[in-house]
Amino acid sequence: MSTVRLTFQINRQAAELEVSPGALLVEVLRGPLGLLGTREGCSRGECGACTVLVDGLPVNSCLYPALEVEGRSVLTIEGLSEPGQKLSPVQEAFVERGGIQCGFCSPGMILSTHALLASNPAPSDHEIRAALVGNLCRCTGYVQIVESVQRAAELRARAREGVSHE
Amino acid sequence: MFNFAFHRPTSLEEAQRLKAEIPGARLIAGGTDVLVKLKKGVPCPSDLISVRNLRELKQISGGEVITIGASVTVSELLASPLVQQELPILLEACTRLACVQIRNVATLGGNLCNASPCADLAPPLLVLEANMRILGTAGERRVPLRSFMVAARENCLAPDELLVAVEVSRPRAGSCGVFLKQARVSMDLALASLAVMLEPDGDTRAWRIAAGSVAPTPIRLARTETLLSTAPDTSAALPTAQALADEEVRPISDVRASATYRRQLIRVFLGRAVAALQTGRSA
Repeated sequence: MSTVRLTFQINRQAAELEVSPGALLVEVLRGPLGLLGTREGCSRGECGACTVLVDGLPVNSCLYPALEVEGRSVLTIEGLSEPGQKLSPVQEAFVERGGIQCGFCSPGMILSTHALLASNPAPSDHEIRAALVGNLCRCTGYVQIVESVQRAAELRARAREGVSHE
Repeated sequence: MFNFAFHRPTSLEEAQRLKAEIPGARLIAGGTDVLVKLKKGVPCPSDLISVRNLRELKQISGGEVITIGASVTVSELLASPLVQQELPILLEACTRLACVQIRNVATLGGNLCNASPCADLAPPLLVLEANMRILGTAGERRVPLRSFMVAARENCLAPDELLVAVEVSRPRAGSCGVFLKQARVSMDLALASLAVMLEPDGDTRAWRIAAGSVAPTPIRLARTETLLSTAPDTSAALPTAQALADEEVRPISDVRASATYRRQLIRVFLGRAVAALQTGRSA
């Protein structure tokens, strides 16, 4: 089947490529774009390993037709830290608090956390767990992950304070 | 990777025309049901027509009749002040639907057109007596939701038709409702669900009750409603109402739950809902 031209923003950069009409977003990210940080787990929208942000909202890239990101902005784990930053505050918090074990769920978990904190900078435990219902982890038992999100909220608040005092 | 042609019409008219012209074409909105089915091996259609971004299908408007476009996502319903104020029972079902990633793309129209027995948004919309606005080659028609879902995973749309919007009359002042759902884990499909609304009707009160995952389609429990609406003492009538609800549901046993357990859930949910609506507590 003939390909279709797709133009969108990936990690703040313009991207233009030819894709098959039946391609899914996760396939385009991991294939031609070589962004292997996005994992494909269940492939049915249950595990959340393939979570990316489309216009800031978490979606399962295994259930997202690639052509539907035309004109939109996609953020993957590779684009999370700002230019000049080694890791984003959320990534730092996950490393510090042991929110990562095997690492397979981590990119999705971290992107979901990033989106949560953008809309709710100081979430309760309950709100954290509700926001991460669609991200399965088979290693940690979630306790360290919830602690990592709380820590990320602190780091983020501290970073904002630093900025406002400058 | 799938082997379909992917159409992205830019107007409602174009979408309807494509649907009418391409035999076997399927509509897709959020894709959380359509793509999962294809991945599970349902034969892939030659053409998918995306209605995800059609502006005409993304509106929510108020008044005596609240109109919600078919492509409004579950997250957009949750964020809508109109839905929050006027349709709390629908809001409750939205919070219980799957997870953030799914709610950000899954649409109201998709949930209803998919016509799953466990569609979370169907029971609240059944008790709200929603009407479906449908566009076909011959023009528009309206169908009550209760006759829209004709069998398990089957809706009444003709090949040239698509769902435009869902219409709900603004509930009367003093109405209240609850939505109850049991699932294995919180993001899972409902093992059973129950929506109950109590609306003041002159000197009396009208009960409306709908159940999910206990019949080939989500259903209204009409006999149970009549019994409760005409009973002089609701609490005294509850055991009879629960027995009647048990007669009205037709659950199956499957990988998620047994028919016996589903029946038990409906009895328990009805008891909790009636108690909550009578006292104004949350269920």
